Amino acid sequence: MNEDEPQSTRPEYDPTYLHSLRELYVIIALFSVFCVWSICVCFNLGYIGPEESRAEVPMVLGMPSWAFWGVFLPWIVVDIVAVWFCFFFMQPDDLGETHDGEDLAEQASSLDDESESSYE
Amino acid sequence: MSEFAVTTLLAQSGSNSAILSFSIYIAAVMVLAWLSNRLLQSKSFLSEYFLGSRSLGVWAFALTFAATSSSGGSFIGFPSLVYTHGWIAALWIGSYMIVPIVSMGLLAKRINQVARKTGAITIPDVLRDRFESSGFAAVATALIVFFMAFNLIAQFKGGSVILQTLLRDVPTFQVASNGMADLLQSGLRLSEPISNPGYLMCLFVFTAAVVVYTAYGGFRAVVWTDVMQGFVMVGGVVIMLPLAIYAVNGLGNATDEMAKMTPPNLVQLSLTVESPTDEVFSIPPNSWLISVDADQRRVFRTAARAQIAAGETSTRTDNGRGIAGIELTYARHVQEQTATPFDREIAVEVLESKPYVTGAGRQGVYVTGPGPHATSSAGFLPFSLAVSFFFMWTFSGAGQPSNMVRLMAFNNARTLRRAIFTVSIYYSLIYFPLVIIFCCARVLLPGWETESDRIMPEMARVTTELVNMPWLAGLLVAAPFAAVMSTMDSFLLMISSAIVRDIYQRNINPHASEKTIKRMTYATTVTVGALAMLAAISPPQFLQDIIVFTGSGLSTSFLVPVVLMLYWPRFNRHGALAGMLGGFATHVTLYAAGTYLNGGAMTAYRVFNFHPFMVGMFASLVIGIVATWLTPAPPEHLVRKYFHAEASR
Repeated sequence: MNEDEPQSTRPEYDPTYLHSLRELYVIIALFSVFCVWSICVCFNLGYIGPEESRAEVPMVLGMPSWAFWGVFLPWIVVDIVAVWFCFFFMQPDDLGETHDGEDLAEQASSLDDESESSYE
Repeated sequence: MSEFAVTTLLAQSGSNSAILSFSIYIAAVMVLAWLSNRLLQSKSFLSEYFLGSRSLGVWAFALTFAATSSSGGSFIGFPSLVYTHGWIAALWIGSYMIVPIVSMGLLAKRINQVARKTGAITIPDVLRDRFESSGFAAVATALIVFFMAFNLIAQFKGGSVILQTLLRDVPTFQVASNGMADLLQSGLRLSEPISNPGYLMCLFVFTAAVVVYTAYGGFRAVVWTDVMQGFVMVGGVVIMLPLAIYAVNGLGNATDEMAKMTPPNLVQLSLTVESPTDEVFSIPPNSWLISVDADQRRVFRTAARAQIAAGETSTRTDNGRGIAGIELTYARHVQEQTATPFDREIAVEVLESKPYVTGAGRQGVYVTGPGPHATSSAGFLPFSLAVSFFFMWTFSGAGQPSNMVRLMAFNNARTLRRAIFTVSIYYSLIYFPLVIIFCCARVLLPGWETESDRIMPEMARVTTELVNMPWLAGLLVAAPFAAVMSTMDSFLLMISSAIVRDIYQRNINPHASEKTIKRMTYATTVTVGALAMLAAISPPQFLQDIIVFTGSGLSTSFLVPVVLMLYWPRFNRHGALAGMLGGFATHVTLYAAGTYLNGGAMTAYRVFNFHPFMVGMFASLVIGIVATWLTPAPPEHLVRKYFHAEASR
C-alpha cells in the first residue's frame, strides 16, 4: 500500500483477514511460549551426562518430575488455553459465499477467447 | 499344558480377535462408502467427491483432521519408540500439545475463505486462482504427485506389514496365504515360490479395501470412515491406559523399575543341540534361551528364525554369522524370565556381543534424556533434535496439502473453533497416554527390542488377558488399522484430485462434461491405487525414511508459500514459486548429500544437527520474501479480491 495515499481513499481490509492475522500472531506467540517451556524444563530437569547413572528419579503422579513439569503440565495448560483461544479470542467470522465452478468458468472462457483469436 | 502351548493359544485368541475385528471393520467401512455414494448422486460431483461440498460439521471436520494426521506410525512406530527409549519419548512427541492450535488455526479460516471466493477444490486450484498462474499450479501439482506417490507406496506397505503382524498366528490366514501363493505361482508360471505369501495376501486385501471404499465414496466416505477410525483409535487408548497401569501395580512402580533398568546387549548367537537332527529343527524368532555358566544365569532372545539343518547339531555356518538377538541385562528380568520350551536341549554360545553405544550398563537411562540408543553416541534425543522435532511435528502437519484440503471443507468459523478444541482434547487423550502405556509395557514385557514394532498388539493381548477380556484385544488392535487406513485414503484421493482436477480438467479439457469427469475420477482413483499396490509388492528400501522424506518435503515446499499468500498482500507469484522451489531444492539437496556421504543409505545431512525440515523452511521463507521484494507488486485486482472488504463476499 502506498503510504502517501490519503486516509479516505485507503481500501478497507477484509475483517476476516484482519482477525485471522491477529490470531496468527497469537498462535506464533503460544507456540513459542510452550516450545521454550517444554524444552527448557525437560532439558534442565531431565537430561543426564553421558557417563552418569541415576537409579532413582524424583516423581510426580508416578512419572519422572521432568515429564510432569515439562510435558504433562504444559499439555494440560494448552488445553485450557485452547478453551480461551477457540471460544473467547477467535472470531466466528463470515467466510463468504461459495462460488463453485467460477474459477473453471473463467478459465474456460479465457481458453475459448484464446482459441478464437488464434483462428482469426 | 506347557507354557509354550498356553502362549500359543493366547496368541491365537488375540489374533482371532484381530481377524474378527478387521472383518467387522472392513464391513462397516464399506457401508459408509455406500452411503457416501448415494449422497454423491444428489450433489455437484467434483465438489462433493473431492471436498464434501464444504459442509463438514464439528465432529466430521475434527476427526478427519486428527485421523489423517495419525498414521500407522502413531500406533506402531511410536509405541515402539517409547518401548525402546523410555520416558524421553514424551518430549519427542510433546509438541502435539500445540499441534491442533497451530496446524488448524494458522491457515484454516483464511484458506477456507480464499477457496470459497473462486470455488477452488484442490490446493493447486487455490494457488492458481490466488496468483492467476497456471504454471505455478502445474509446479504445485507435480510436487504433490511426486511426493504423494512415494508416500502412498510406503503407506501401502506399512499397512500390509501391520496387518500381517497382527494376523500371522491365525491358522486360517496362513492356509489362505499359502493357497493364494500357490495359485499365483501356477497362474503366473513363476519358477520360484513366492517368498512372503502372508505379506502379499495382506497387501491385496488391505489395499483393495482402501481403494474400493475411497474410489466409490470419495471424500465423504473418507471423512466418515475417518470419524469412525478416530473413535476406534481414542477408544483403544482410553481402554488400554487403566489396564496397563493396573498390570504394573501403578505408574510410580513402573517408573521406579524403569529407573533401575539397563539396556540389553545386541548379540550374535550360535545354537547347538546334543545330537544331529533327523529333520530341520526350527527355532522361531522371539524365542527365549537361557544359559547358566558358573552360576551366572544369562538370558537371550532371538530376533530371527534359526534353523539347524538335518544331520547337523549347530546353527553355525561357514560365513561365521550367528543368529541375531539380545541379552537381557536387568537383574529382575534375568532372574524371572523362563526359557521357551523345546523338545530338545539347546546350548547357547555368544559369538559377538555389542552393548548400546549410549546407556549401556547405566541405570536411569530409560527415565531421563537423551535416552538410550544402540548406535548413536548422542543418544535418542539430544537437545538439537528435541528442538527440531518440536518444530517439525507442529509445522510439518500444517504444511501437508492433505491437511490443507480438509481446512477448505468445514462449513463455518464456529465449526472451526469447536473443532480446534476437539482435536486438542483428542490428541491429549491419545499421545501422552500412549507414552504411559508403553512405558508400562517395558516393565511388563521384557525383550521386545527384538521386534519392537509388535509391542502394540502384544500389549493389547497381555493386558486384556489379565482382566479376562480377550475379546477386547480385537478393539485395541483395530486402532492401528484405523490409523493407517485414514492416512492412505486421504493420500489416494489427493493424487486422484491432482490428476483429474488439476491436470485434466484445468489444463486439458475445461469443457469436460460431468459424466466424463465422473468416469475419469473413478477410473483414476482405482488405477492409482492399483499401481501403488503393484509397486508395494516390491517396495523401495528405507520405508520409514521415505515417509519422513516425503512428509517433510511437502511441508518445506508448501507451508511458507501458502502462509504468505494468505497473509501478505505484497506476496506475488515470483516469490511463491521461488519459495516453493527453494524449500524443495534445499530439502532434496540435504537428503542427497546425506545419502551420498552415508554410502548410499538414505540419510539426511543435518546442518548443525538440525533436521532438513527446519533448514528447508528457513530457506523457503528467505527465498520467498527476497524474490517478492525483487519483483513487481501483484496486480491490484488480486489484492482487492483477496484482502479488501468490498470484494470479500
